[in-house]
Formats: sequence, structure tokens, C-alpha cells
Amino acid sequence: MSTLPQKESRAPATCPGSASTQDLDSNYGDGLERECSRKPDRKVSEFCGVGDPTAMLSSDSSYLSSRGGVIKWFWDSAEEGYRTYHTDEYDEDKNPSGIINLGTSENKLCFDLLSSRLSQSDMLRVEPALLQYPDWRGHRFLREEVARFLSFYCKSPTPLKPENVVVLNGCASLFSALATVLCEVGEAFLIPAPYYGAITQHVYLYGNVRLVCVYLDSEVTGLDTRPFQLTVERLEMALQRANSEGVKVKGLILINPHNPLGDIYSPGELRNYLEFAKRHELHVMVDEVYMLSVFEKSAAYCSVLSLEGLPDPQRTHVMWATSKDFGMSGLRFGTLYTENRDVATAVASLCRYHGLSGLVQYQMAQLLRDRDWINQVYLPENHARLKAAHTYVAGELQALGIPFLSRGAGFFIWVDLRKPEPLPPSQFLPEATFKEEMLLWRRFLDNKVLLSCGKTFECKEPGWFRLVFSDKAHRLCLGMRRVRQVLGGKSQVAEEPHSCQTREPRSQHR
Amino acid sequence: MSHQSDTIHLPCGQMRGQGLGSQGTHTRPLEMMLHLRQTIEKHIMQLVTRHQQQDLVLGDQRHHQATGEQEALLGNLVSQLVSLLRSGATGGLGLQPSYPALDVRGDVGGGQEAQSSGQPDQPVHQLKDPEATFVSQHLSNRGIEISASYQANLQDFRIYQADKYHEDTNPLGFINLGISENKLCLDLMTERLSQSDMNVTEDVLLQYSDWSGQPFLWEEVARFLTYYCKVPAQLDPENVVVLNGCSSIFSTLAMVLCDPGEALLSPPPFYGGFVFSSQLYSKVELILVHLDSESTDANPHPFKLTVDKLEQALLEATLTGKKVRGLVLINPQNPLGDVYCRDSLKEYLEFAKRYNLHVIMDEIYMLSVFDESIMFHSILSMESLPDPNRTHVIWGTSKDFGISGFRFGVLYTHNKEVASAVSSFGYLHGVSGIIQYKLCRLLQDREWIDGVYLPTYRSRLQRAHRYITRKLKALGIPFLNHGSGLYVWINLKVYLDPCTFEEELLLCPRFLDNKLILSRGKTYMCKEPGWFRTVFADRPSG
Repeated sequence: MSTLPQKESRAPATCPGSASTQDLDSNYGDGLERECSRKPDRKVSEFCGVGDPTAMLSSDSSYLSSRGGVIKWFWDSAEEGYRTYHTDEYDEDKNPSGIINLGTSENKLCFDLLSSRLSQSDMLRVEPALLQYPDWRGHRFLREEVARFLSFYCKSPTPLKPENVVVLNGCASLFSALATVLCEVGEAFLIPAPYYGAITQHVYLYGNVRLVCVYLDSEVTGLDTRPFQLTVERLEMALQRANSEGVKVKGLILINPHNPLGDIYSPGELRNYLEFAKRHELHVMVDEVYMLSVFEKSAAYCSVLSLEGLPDPQRTHVMWATSKDFGMSGLRFGTLYTENRDVATAVASLCRYHGLSGLVQYQMAQLLRDRDWINQVYLPENHARLKAAHTYVAGELQALGIPFLSRGAGFFIWVDLRKPEPLPPSQFLPEATFKEEMLLWRRFLDNKVLLSCGKTFECKEPGWFRLVFSDKAHRLCLGMRRVRQVLGGKSQVAEEPHSCQTREPRSQHR
Repeated sequence: MSHQSDTIHLPCGQMRGQGLGSQGTHTRPLEMMLHLRQTIEKHIMQLVTRHQQQDLVLGDQRHHQATGEQEALLGNLVSQLVSLLRSGATGGLGLQPSYPALDVRGDVGGGQEAQSSGQPDQPVHQLKDPEATFVSQHLSNRGIEISASYQANLQDFRIYQADKYHEDTNPLGFINLGISENKLCLDLMTERLSQSDMNVTEDVLLQYSDWSGQPFLWEEVARFLTYYCKVPAQLDPENVVVLNGCSSIFSTLAMVLCDPGEALLSPPPFYGGFVFSSQLYSKVELILVHLDSESTDANPHPFKLTVDKLEQALLEATLTGKKVRGLVLINPQNPLGDVYCRDSLKEYLEFAKRYNLHVIMDEIYMLSVFDESIMFHSILSMESLPDPNRTHVIWGTSKDFGISGFRFGVLYTHNKEVASAVSSFGYLHGVSGIIQYKLCRLLQDREWIDGVYLPTYRSRLQRAHRYITRKLKALGIPFLNHGSGLYVWINLKVYLDPCTFEEELLLCPRFLDNKLILSRGKTYMCKEPGWFRTVFADRPSG
């Protein structure tokens, strides 16, 4: 039974109380991988502290069920920002004054490589088996290839098994399916915040599962060695708080490399988190969707699958997809790796609703198999382009004196616009509120550049923004120019834009 | 593998809930014993049926696993009883009996081959919920239900997947006449899809798109449906939502039109996937509008849906406190192979309008009408729909184009709210951009569809239908002779003695024995035993 969020507990930090209100209140800028979009005037406050928001929502429609009304709300709120962007999308020739999207986490740097690889003749196979109903876990040939691929790139101590692989149409579906099969209605997962906000919707829509935020601070104090560091103490505290409010927590979601922080967990940290989960019999879902997008050589990435002797293998579930690492978010390919056969089977039971085309499964198998191309062509080039784009944006931000976090992974920089120096603070957040953050976000949009604001990641400190840099040089330069205009306009860099030398050839610009 | 949740009822949880004060010392063990006996009997029954079915269908290893699982369970029950009796079953007993085989269960369920080393350090599980623990220590209750329902529903399919007939590589494999897949035109499809215009890999196809589909595909779908459904005015691309299959469309519609526990009317026999889809995520009930299989003077057409029957079913449901939100119809019908005439359709829609019911109309077989004398009427062809805001049409390419592996389904609805709400689910049911492009090309190619594909497809359907009906006649098996769909609805009740669903079920393994899968009437919610659906849309060489 999926009933809608009911009694709201008033605790500010946790769900379902705050999650359900925040669900409805904060939006999925990143969420739909489209931008945070709510108009500031939206009457979200009505949802806060109300016993049953659905009553109000459902009254909107004589056609939809109560939950249908809430579900539609997700769409409408996403739709707004999406509309703004898509009605006025930047195009070099047709709409040069259109909006530049530095909000959606997509890698747009390697379409040339991907297009040419996907157009090669080995990709074009059409055979009857691919056109018929598949095994809902995914075609065997693909699961075998995924197992080999992950064994190699995650450096697993022993070869991974195809039986433990389930293939679906993206990680969103995977979050949804895992929430459904691991939790009852109203139960919850822990998640360190800030986090990729769309997960809220993924686990809610079908699963009616909430997220309990483990809020992290930007300030470095005590045992923390870096901003927004996740510690076991924080996990314990959040869990305790949830328990004391009667929220049943069933698992922990980790994103590694992290979105939006770009952080990478060390093997030691990972193990600590896993041990914590084991102590409390929590499932751990590790989202490793950026694992091959670590472009800084010094950053040593460690997949959870590389650990010798997982603390609780039956409760450890790994997610990966080609959306980010292979820049193909439109392809809809995601995969689960879990040693727990019950979980694999239960997720596969839902795959009839989350399947992907046989032809695409075939292409994915071909792609993952082509180690020569991946290692010698794609990854080096992708990393070099990511690094060049990152260097450019980081340089721009430094020139503006804006602090930011970035650790050499992912497609984004986590930017601190709370008190940018040396520019007058009044330009940005006169007050440290989410309302001001939203206004600033709106100013960016008015100036035709789309960013994602911290609120959409459930960041508890107003003033953080995520800036995506994995775009072609000309768009990136123009986007940064517009960012600069909003952030002070007068800085000298505005007059003479930094050279945007990313490695892509001019001819690749579209 | 661990899907016996509904059949395992440990007495402890139940006992614990009862006040023990007034009970004598021996009442509990006695009750427990009785309960246990029942449980054990049930399990033995289950073992027997499992043996019967699974011997045939599962590999040895799986079979042993299943048996081991059952044995472990019985072991548990017995040891629990023993320890209960020993402890004297005093009031404070609660839930202390030892569960020596508990971890075995976990192991079996988890199917650990390599993982057993990880097991010994696991803490002994606190048995807060013995039922859940027995069934799976990792899944939620609904997770267990989902697995169970999937396995029950799709077991045959999985067997088939594992041992598919192939002329060359597996001539002894299963021939699947149970799953409604159109395999008649794979040659044509393969050829068409291999043409160079299909292979486009543009940036835009690799990026996130609108979650309800690529705009170019909405437009093509609107044009396509306008043409093939003979719609009086051009359909609006804005009303099109594209997801990865019709199951997804149905599932999302059930989510947004009904709250949990609410209901949809549907006349059986109907496609069993609806039952599955309505249970799985949305927890919506299907209210069966039973029809008569006998043709009489008053009712010349067997399984004829009438407004009276709809009224009656609605009334009965309402009287039992059910909130009915809509009516689900399939046209052309699956598994009957019949089409609704225009007037009937109008009546059903008017009925729905009278009670503010949504109508979900599944027209997924609309191009699979092979008898030229039969006129199919899409509800989109009506001059004016009685209640357009509550009328929702489903179509997909799985059946009509025989590409079920493509995962593509379409919703057409005038209701913007419904379209938006369904679109919220878009990214849980997204279709690859590359596939959307191919589909667009396919639907666009009217010349090929009308000139090559449809004529060939229909003549092959006709031929296959002729072949199978001739065989059935020769065997003296009664069946309903209609001119659409990929299947024939046949009546095997003379082979059932007595005529019960148990017997019907027992007939299935006999087909399986012969590596043939039919789907039995029960799957289609048919109220009388003995009906089977046999799919004929396979190549004759099979």
C-alpha cells in the first residue's frame, strides 16, 4: 500500500517529516537532470508542516487519484525549469542569446568519439533474439560483459559473476526498484547531504520510501579533514535521530565519486561506512556512476567492489551506468551488481517495467567489450577533455576569488557563493537564506545561464551552487561570461574572456 | 526462490499477540502443535506439487535447492516444536526457541555459492518478525511478494528462456505457444531495421530528452495513430506519452488514476499481465466482470460483454465498499481474438461516463486483424468520445510489429493532467534515444508498412491461423474462431476430469513434458476451467 506522506514529524533534519515536506518543497534541479526550476513564488510553504499534503493536491483534479496528484506535482515542478530552458535553449547559430545549461550533469565533450564508435558496423547487428522478449534480468551476453567490465575497472579481487548482474534502463529505475524491494512503505534510507536530489523522487514515486539526510558541514572542524566530510559519527547521529522519531531506516545510499561534491571516498572511509551499516544491518547502495570520470590522475578511486572481504556482502549493492562515464544519458542503460540473489531476483521481477531494448543491450555489450578503444582512445581523451574544461572553469572561479570544492572527479564544481571575496557580498546572498539562494539562481537564469542551486541537493547551507563544466568550449566560455556578469560584471576578466582551450577541435562544435 | 511467504505461518507471532494469562500451560503447545501439523501438511503438499512441476522444469540443481529449502523449513518447524515442548511453554516463552537451521535458510535463499565464508560472522538475527526472517532476511514484505508473484507468473517464461527451441542449436528446446509474441515477420523486421537509415547516432539521441519521449517521436506517433486508427481530426502530439512498453503505461496509469486498494473493472478472460501490473506497484484491484462462455438465444455470442454485466459488476463492487475508478478493455481482445463493434464500444464508453469511470483501452493488437471481413474500430476513430478526459488509449509495437524486445509503449490521452502525471514516471520507464529514432523511422515508412509489411504479416497470420484451426478441428477441440490477434482460445474441458482448476493446472505439466507451453484460462481470470490460449504466430517450421 503506498499511502502518501502523512503525519509530518516536525524535526527539521529528517524524513519522513522533513523529507516529505522537502520532497514537495525542494525540487529536483538536478533532479530530473534538468534544472531547478521552481518559481520563487510557488506556494510551497503550504506543504510544510501540513498533516497530509495530498488532500490539498488532490483537490486540484477530479481525474487523478490522491497519489496521482502528488506524482503530477513532481512533474509540474520539474517542468517549469525545464520549460524555461527548453523554450530558449542556446544554439550557436539559431539562438546565440539562448540559455546555456551548466546545470545538467551531462558529459557533452565526447559525442564525436561516441558517435563514431556507435556507428561502426559491429554495432548495427539486428537479429531476431534482440527483437523479442528478453530475460528480464537482461540478455545473458550483456550480463557477462558487464561482469567482466566491472571486474576489470573496479579491480575486483575475484572475477564478478554474471548471475549477480541485473540490467535495467538506468540508475533511476534501479533506485526505484531497490527502494521497493528493500523497504516497506514509509521506511527510509540514509543519505549524506548534499546529494543528487533526484534520488528523492526515484525512491518515492513507486516505492513511497523517504530519505533521511545525514547533513554535512562545509566547515572543517575536529576530526573532519575536509569540508562536507562524511564521518561515522554523523551517520550514527542521523540514524539515532531517525530511530527516535520512529522512522525505520533500512539502508544507506553512498555516491562515489560524489555528486555534487566531486569527492572520492578512500578505502578506509568506505570500509568504515560499510562497517557502520553492518552493525545496524543496513543495506548499502553504492552509486558508482562516475567511477570512470576521475580525470585527476592523483585521485585514486576505489570501487567498493575492489575491497577484499566486504563487511556485509549480502547487503551491499553496487550501481553503475553508462550515462555519465560514457556520456550517454539518453541511452538508458544501468546495472546492479549484488551478491544477494534474493535482491537480484526481486529487482529483476520489476524489470518488465524497466527494461531496455535488445538492440541497445547488444550495442552496450559491444561497447563494454572493446577494451582497446576504451583504454586507448576513449578514456584518455575523455579525461584530458574533462581536465581541460575543469582547469578553465577553476581558473575563472579563482580569478573571481570564488571558493569552490573540486577533487578531480565528476563533471561539476561545487561553488561557494555565500561570501565571495573580494566582491561585495551584497551582490550575492545578502542574507544566508534559501530564498536569497533562489533569487540568485533566478538572476543566473535571467542572465541566460542555468546552474543548480544547493537547495536542490538538500544542502543545509544556503549559497552553494553546482556548476557543470563538461561542455564544449564555446558554450562553456559563454556560460562563464554570463556567470561573471551576474557575479559582479565589472571584473576585468569579463572584458577579455579567458582563453578557452579545451582540446576539442573547432570543427566539432555544433 | 523464497516466495512462500503466504504459506508460512509460524504460530509464534500469532501467539505472542495473544494474552497468555488465562491460558493453561498446555494450551499453547497444543495449539502450536496443531498449527504446526497444518503447516507441515501444507508444505508437504507444496513439496509434492513442486516435485511434480519442478522435476520437469527446473535443472537438478535448482530442484535440489528448492527441496533443501523446504527441508530446512520443516527442520526449523520441528526443532521449534521440540524446544517449545521442552521448555514447558510457560508464559514468558515469547520467541526464544532456537532456530538451528536459520542461517541455512538465508543461505539457500541467497543462493550463495561463493559467499558462505561471509556467513559465520553474521550476528544471530533477532527474530523480530519470524515470517519475514524465514522468507528472506533481506527483502521487504512487498519485495517478497513481488518476487513471488513474478515467479508464479513468469515461471514458464523463465523456463522457456533457459531452454528455447532453436532449429539448429536447440531442437529439443521449448516451443512457446504461451507467450503472445509475433514471430511471423522477424525476417521483414530484421531487414528493415538493418537498413542504413535506421542507424543514426546523433548527440541529441545520446542526451537526456524529455522524459515523456522525444518530440519527433510524439509527432510521428500522432500521425501514425491518426492514420491507422482512422481518426476524424489530426491527433495532437502533445497528448502522446512514450514509455518503455505497455506494461509500464498500464502500471503508471493505475498509479495515477487509483489510490491503493481502489479498483478497475475488467471482463475476463483478459491478458493476465494486467493482474500482475496492477498488483505489483500500484496495489489496485481488478474487479472481474464475468461473462458467459455458452452461447444461448439470449446471448448469441460467447463471452459477450454487455452493459448489464458492467452495471451489475459495478453495483456489486460498490456494495462491498470498493471504490471503482475505471474500466479496462482490450480491443482486439486478448485472449478471445474478437473485436468490439462500434456500437458496443459506444455503450461501454457511455456506461463509463455515467459513473465517471476512466476507460483504459488497450489497442495493442489493432493492426493484427487478419480476417478482412472484420472491421476493427479504434475508439480514437469516434466522431466524439463521450468522456474524452477519462478515455486513455494504449498502443505499442510489441505485437503489431513483432518487436517486443524493443520496449516501446504509447499512451494517448486528451487529459493533460493524466499525461503529466504519467510523465513523472518517465525516467523510470525511459526509452533509449537511439531506439526512439528507429521507431520514428519505422512508423514513418508508410510505404513499407502498407506495401510490404502489413500485407505479408496478415497473410502469414491467416495462414498460421488456418493451420492451427484445421489441426484443432481434426482433434475435435472446440475453439473460438475470430479473426484477430496472435492466438486461439481453445476449450479443453473434456480433458479435465473433474472439471476444476486443479485439473487445469495439472494439464500444464503434461504440455511442458512435451516441451510446449500454453497458457491456461486461470491466468486470464476465466471463471470456468478448461480454457487455454494457444499462440499461433510462430513460423510453421517450428
